[in-house]
Amino acid sequence: MNIRKASRLSRRTLLKGLGSAAVGLPLLEEMIAPSAVAAAKDVPVRAFNIFFGLGIPAPLQNEGFSDVFEPLKPLKDKLLIMRNVDHVRADEKGINAHFDGASASFTAEGPDGEAKSGGPSIDQVVRRTYHPNGMPAGMVPTLVAGTFFRRSRVSRYVHSYNADGTVAAMMQERPRDLFERVFGTIDTGSSNPKRDRLKRSVLDTMVDQYRYFTGANSPLSSASKARVREHLDRIREYEERAYSMKQLGVGAPPRPPRSKLAHGGPADPGGEGIDMALDDLTSEWRLLADLYALAVETDRVRFGALTFLAAGERLRITGDYKYDGRLIHRFDDAREHNASGSKGCSHEWWHKFKEKNSNKQLRAHAHMKLNEVAYFLKRLDQTREANGRSILENSMITISTESGDGRHSDVKRELSGVFHAITGANGRFKTGQIMDVKSEGIDVYNTMLTGMGAKDRLGPKDRKQRPVDKIRA
Amino acid sequence: MYLDLSKRLAIALPLAALAFSLANSQAAANPNGLIALYDFQSAKGSVVTDRSGVGTPLNLKIAKPASVQRSQRSLKIVRPTIIRSDKPAKKIIDSVKRSGAITVEAWIQTAKLGQAGPARVLTISSSPNERNLTLGQDGTKIEVRLRTSRTSNNGIPATATASRALNTKLTHVVYTRDRGGRTRIFLNGRQNKSGKVSGDLKKWNGNYRLALGDELSGGRSWLGTYRLVAIYSRALSASEVKRRFDSGPKASSRSVIAQAEKHPGEVMFENKIAPLIAEHCLECHDTATRKGKTDLSRKTTAFVDDFIVPGKSEKSVIWELVQSDDMPTDRAPLSAEEKKLLKQWIDGGAQWTVDVIDPAIYTHKRGASQLWVQRLTVPEYIATVKATTGVDISNEAKELLPKDLRADGFSNTAYNLNIDLKHVSSYAKLAEIIVSRMDVMAFTQRFHRSRKLIDKDNIALIENMGKWILRGPLKGHETAAFRGISTTVMNVGGDFKEASAHIIEAMLQSPRFIYRIEAQQGDGSIYPVGEYEMASRLSYIVWGASPDRELLKAAEESRLSDPGEIAKQVDRMLKDPRAITRSQQFISEWLNLGRLDNMQPNPKKFPNWTPALGTDMRAETLAFFKDLVWNQKRPLSHLLNANFTYVTPRLAKHYGIRFTGDSLERVELANVRGRGGLLTHGSVLTIGGDEASMVARGLFVLRDLLRGAIKDPPPSVNVTPVPAKAGLSHRQIAKQRVADANCGGCHVKFEPLAFGLEKFDGIGAYHDIDEYGNRLREDGEILFPGTGKSIAYKTSAELMDLLAGSDRVKECITWKLTQFALGRPLGPDDARVVDNIHKSSQENGGTYASVIKAIVLSDLVQMTRTELASK
Repeated sequence: MNIRKASRLSRRTLLKGLGSAAVGLPLLEEMIAPSAVAAAKDVPVRAFNIFFGLGIPAPLQNEGFSDVFEPLKPLKDKLLIMRNVDHVRADEKGINAHFDGASASFTAEGPDGEAKSGGPSIDQVVRRTYHPNGMPAGMVPTLVAGTFFRRSRVSRYVHSYNADGTVAAMMQERPRDLFERVFGTIDTGSSNPKRDRLKRSVLDTMVDQYRYFTGANSPLSSASKARVREHLDRIREYEERAYSMKQLGVGAPPRPPRSKLAHGGPADPGGEGIDMALDDLTSEWRLLADLYALAVETDRVRFGALTFLAAGERLRITGDYKYDGRLIHRFDDAREHNASGSKGCSHEWWHKFKEKNSNKQLRAHAHMKLNEVAYFLKRLDQTREANGRSILENSMITISTESGDGRHSDVKRELSGVFHAITGANGRFKTGQIMDVKSEGIDVYNTMLTGMGAKDRLGPKDRKQRPVDKIRA
Repeated sequence: MYLDLSKRLAIALPLAALAFSLANSQAAANPNGLIALYDFQSAKGSVVTDRSGVGTPLNLKIAKPASVQRSQRSLKIVRPTIIRSDKPAKKIIDSVKRSGAITVEAWIQTAKLGQAGPARVLTISSSPNERNLTLGQDGTKIEVRLRTSRTSNNGIPATATASRALNTKLTHVVYTRDRGGRTRIFLNGRQNKSGKVSGDLKKWNGNYRLALGDELSGGRSWLGTYRLVAIYSRALSASEVKRRFDSGPKASSRSVIAQAEKHPGEVMFENKIAPLIAEHCLECHDTATRKGKTDLSRKTTAFVDDFIVPGKSEKSVIWELVQSDDMPTDRAPLSAEEKKLLKQWIDGGAQWTVDVIDPAIYTHKRGASQLWVQRLTVPEYIATVKATTGVDISNEAKELLPKDLRADGFSNTAYNLNIDLKHVSSYAKLAEIIVSRMDVMAFTQRFHRSRKLIDKDNIALIENMGKWILRGPLKGHETAAFRGISTTVMNVGGDFKEASAHIIEAMLQSPRFIYRIEAQQGDGSIYPVGEYEMASRLSYIVWGASPDRELLKAAEESRLSDPGEIAKQVDRMLKDPRAITRSQQFISEWLNLGRLDNMQPNPKKFPNWTPALGTDMRAETLAFFKDLVWNQKRPLSHLLNANFTYVTPRLAKHYGIRFTGDSLERVELANVRGRGGLLTHGSVLTIGGDEASMVARGLFVLRDLLRGAIKDPPPSVNVTPVPAKAGLSHRQIAKQRVADANCGGCHVKFEPLAFGLEKFDGIGAYHDIDEYGNRLREDGEILFPGTGKSIAYKTSAELMDLLAGSDRVKECITWKLTQFALGRPLGPDDARVVDNIHKSSQENGGTYASVIKAIVLSDLVQMTRTELASK
C-alpha cells in the first residue's frame, strides 16, 4: 500500500492540546512513509465501530440532511445511512434501556452481565476471519478508545467485544493513554547487553508458561484459555516494544499532555452528571480522534471502536455551538432545564422528546454529536490508499448509537429505528443513500459480515438468516 | 418491636421461596467427592448402573448374567464371573490422580471365608500384576493393594485387616487413603487397620477398567453379595465412615442418588419452564401484583381455574393466551421455541417442584455458567506480594496497574478481569521493584541452604521456592523453565544472587502468580478441588491473599479435603487481621463506597458539601461494619438496625448529632432521631442523588438488600422524573406513580421501601421539612419479594427492624457475600447450595464468620465445575 498523502494531526487541535512548545509535526511524515504498511500490496481489511451516546430519535432521521444529519452531508457519498434498524431482540428485561441498546450496537445482542455482551462485535468477527492467529507484529490487535464520562457499566462505553462477549481491549480514554498504547515503547531500563539478555530470559520463561496454559495440555477451560492467550499476546507485544521495535518511537508525535477533563470515578459522580464546556469536550475528543486516525493511517491499528459520549451520558453542557459559521444553539442545559444534578443534564432532552415539539435542544445536541463523529470520519478521508480510495472508503466503519427514541417508555420504540451508517468497505456496500432498510440489526450486521467475507455470524446458530442484500454493492 | 415484627415477618415469608435448577447442579448430587456409585437397584438385566450422577456414568456389564442372582438393591455372584466396565475408569482415575486420595466403600457379604488371591471384590487393573487399586478378600482378611509412586505396579506392599476380621454377615467395608499416604480400613464403621502407603498417585494407569468379582484377566474370582459400592476421590473421615455405616446401604444410596432419580419433567420445569415464567409472566402475575387475579409464581395459584391443566395444553388458559400472543401484554411475545417448550411441559404433566418461583435466581442465567480463570485483583496482587515476599508494593501497584472495573456489583468478577499491554508492562516493572526491595539471599535461604548453581541444588531451590511463590508444587517443565534462567545467568558470568533475583522476577510474572490457576477441564461434571487449589480458595476468600505456610502444609498433607480441618483452618484464618481487611473490601464493593470519592452534589443545593465529608461517610460505614462484625460479632443482619455509628466532628455536625470527640469515634444513637443502621448512613443515602430519589433508593433496597428483580418500565409510560415543589413532596409524587395503573405494579414493590428514608436529603442530612416547605414523613409499608401483603411501619427505625429481621435480607447478604467469595455472579445452578449456605450460617448465628465458614464448606468451594476436555 502506498500512502499518497500522509496526513497529520489537526494543527489547531494539537496546538490546543500540547501547548505551544511541544509540537513536532514534521516528523510525522517520516513516521508514516517507511512503515511496514508500505510493503503491503493490497488495501488492508479494517473494521471500526463508532458509537455516540443517546441516539437520534427515529422521526428526526426522516429529514434528510436538512437538520440533524447536516454534519454528515459532506460525507454523504461515502456513507450509507440506514433507517429502521431494529434491536428489539436485545431487550433484556430488568436491565437499563441505555445498557441494552448500547450493548446491541455492533453486536445485535443484549448484555450478558454488566460488563459483557451477549456475543462478539462485528469488528472482532472480521478480525478473527482475517487474522485468526493474531495481528502482525507491531500492530495493536484492537484499539478501543473514547471520550466519555458515564461509566456505571462497561457496555455504556466499550464497543468492541470478543467472541465470548468480554471486552476486546482495555478502554483508552485519555489522549495520552491512547498515544502510549499505540506509539509507546517500553524502556527496559538499560542498554546493557547482559541485562537485556537476562531480561529476555525472564520473558522467554514467561512465554513458555503462558503458552503451556493455552496449549493442548492446559488444565483451563476454553474461556480461561482465551484469557491467558490474550495475556500471552500482550507479552509478545510487550517483547516487541521492549526489544524489537524501539525504532517505532523515533519520529512519533509528541506525547500529549495530561488530560484536563475528568476521567475515571470523578467523571461520573454517582450518575449525577458533570458540568462541561463544549470547547473542552470537543478539544479533547478531537485530539483523541486525531490520534486514533493517526494510528489507523500508520497501520498500527485495523480493528476497534471509538466512542464519543457514553450511553446515557449525563453532561450539563455550556457554550456556543456553531456549525459552518452559524450559531446552532447556545448550550446551557442546567439553566434550560431549570434543574441541577442529573435532571439538569442534556440526557433529559431525550426523556422529554415529543414528535410534535420542536425538540430544539435535542436536535442541537444530536447535530453536535454527528459533527464530532464526522470530524473523525473526515480525518480518515484525508488519506488515499493504493486503490485511489481513502481509508474511510476502504474500511468497514459502522456508526451507531444506543436508541431510536430515548424516552425509555416503549421497548419497541426505544430499540427500533436505531441510527446506523456504514462506509463502503472498499466497494462492498452501497453508499450515497439514506436507505429505509426495515430490518433487524442482526440481519444488517450479518449481511455486512457476509460482504466482508467473514465466516462467523452473529446470533443463535439455528436462527434463519434474513440477508439485507440491498445494502450490498 | 424488633421481635414482634420479626415474628410477623416469619409468617409472611415462606423460607423455601427458592427455585432450583438441579439437572446441572451436580454439586448437590455429589457430596463428599463421590465419583462412582453402584446400588444394584435393578433386579434384572446384565448392566449394573453407575448412579452417582457424576460425569459420564461408568456402567458395568455382567459377563455371565446366569452366574449372578439379582434382586432389588443386591447382586449375588453365585458362580465365577466378572462385572466390568467397557472402557477405562477414566473419571475415577482422573479424579483420584488429581486429589491423591481415595475411598472405596462397599456393603458386601462373602459367600465363603476361604476365598483368597486376594479374591477381587473390586479392582481397577489389567492383570494379576498390574493394577491401580484392588480391594479383595484373603481368607478372613480384607486386603487392599494401591499403586503409588512408592509401591510396585502390583500395589505391593498391601494394606490388610487383622485376621478373622471378616465373617459371612453383611459387612460395611471402607478403605481410605489420604493425600499424605495415611491408609485405613474400617469394618462396620470401626477402624480395623491403619497404616501408611507413601507416594503420590500420579503413576495410576489411565487405561485400566473397573471390575467387580474377578481380575480383568480372570482367575481371581470372588463369590458373594454386593449391596452397594461407592468410590470417592477423597479420604472419608472416621466419623463420616461411622455415619455411613449407621445409615445402612439403603439410606446411603437413596440420599446420594436423589438427583439422579429426578423426573425428566421436573428437570424441564427447573431448567426451562421456571426461568421462562420468571422472565415473561411474573412481572404482572406474581404474588404481589396478581394482575387479573392470577399468580403464576406458586403452584397452588397457577393451577386454579384451568390456567394450567396438566397433560392438556389445549385446555390450559395459559397456552391459549400465549399461543395467540395475547400474553404477555405490551411485551415481546414468546419465541416459537419458548412456546414449544411451554406446550411440551404442560402436555408432559406440568411438573412443578418449588414453593415459589423466585425471579432473582435467573438474573444471571447465562453469565454464571462459564468458567473463568481469576486474575488477581489489584488488592489481591498487593496482598499476595506482601505475603509472599514481605514487600509492600501497594503504592506502585495502585499507580501502575489498571483499575479493575466493577461488573455485576463487584470488581473481582472473573470474566471482567481482562488483560492489556498495560498490565503486562506493569507486572514486569513491579516484579523488578519487588525484587530490588527483597533481601534475595536471605529469601532463598528459606527454601534451600546451598547457594550453588549446579543442577541438584538449584533445582531444589527452584522447586521449594516455586512452591511457595506459585502456591503449589511445580511441574517438571516449570522447574526446567526457571532453571533455564539460572543457566543463562551463569552463561553471562552472573552469580547466585543474580540468578535467584531473575528467577523470582519471572515467578512474579508467571501465570501461576498472576492468576488463580485451577484444573477446569474434565468430563463436564463436578470434581473435588485439589488440595492446593483448596488452599488458595480458602486464602483468597478469607484473606484476599495467598495461602500461608500452615495452609500449604495442610494441602501437602491432604488435610484440606476434610471439612473438619477446613473449619479449623477458617477459624484460625479469621483471627488474622487480613480477614478484616477482606471483609471491608466486601462491604465497600457491595455498597459501592468508592462512589463517595467522586461525588459532586450541586453546590447551590448543598453548599456545605466537601469531599472530606464523603471520606468521613465512607469511614463511618467501614468502622461501623468492623465494630459490629469483628468486635461485637453480631449477625450481619444487624447492620440494618444497629443503634450506633461512627462519626467525625464534621460528620456529626452534618447529621445533627451532638458529639464532643475530635476524630472518628463511636456514638450511640438511642436518642438520635431517624439514625440507626446502614441505610441511615450518608454513604448509602447518597445513592438517591441530589434529589434523594425514592426510585433510586427504593431500587437499591429492593435489589441489594431484598434480592428482588424488577423490570424496565412498561411501554407507553412517560418516565420523565417529576420535580418536587411546594405542596408536592417526593412521597406524594411516588404515591402518584404507585397509584398509576401503568407504573404501580412495579413501583409498589420498591418506592415504599424508601418512604422511611424521606427525611434524609440527597446527602444524608435529616430534615422534618423539605426545601419547598413540605412536611416530611417516615412511615410507610414494605412488601417483601415473594409475598403478597405489605407490612406497615411507622418510623424509619421500624423499617430497619423489619429489614434486620427479614430472612430475605439475611439471604440476600449471603448471596452477595457468596458472589464476592466466588468472584462470579450466581446463577440458577447455584441456588440450592447458596440456600444451604444460608441455612447453615443462620444456624450458627448469621455472623460474617459463620457465612464465610458455610461458604468454604459448601460445594461451591469444595467442588469445581469442569468443562468437557477438548482433547
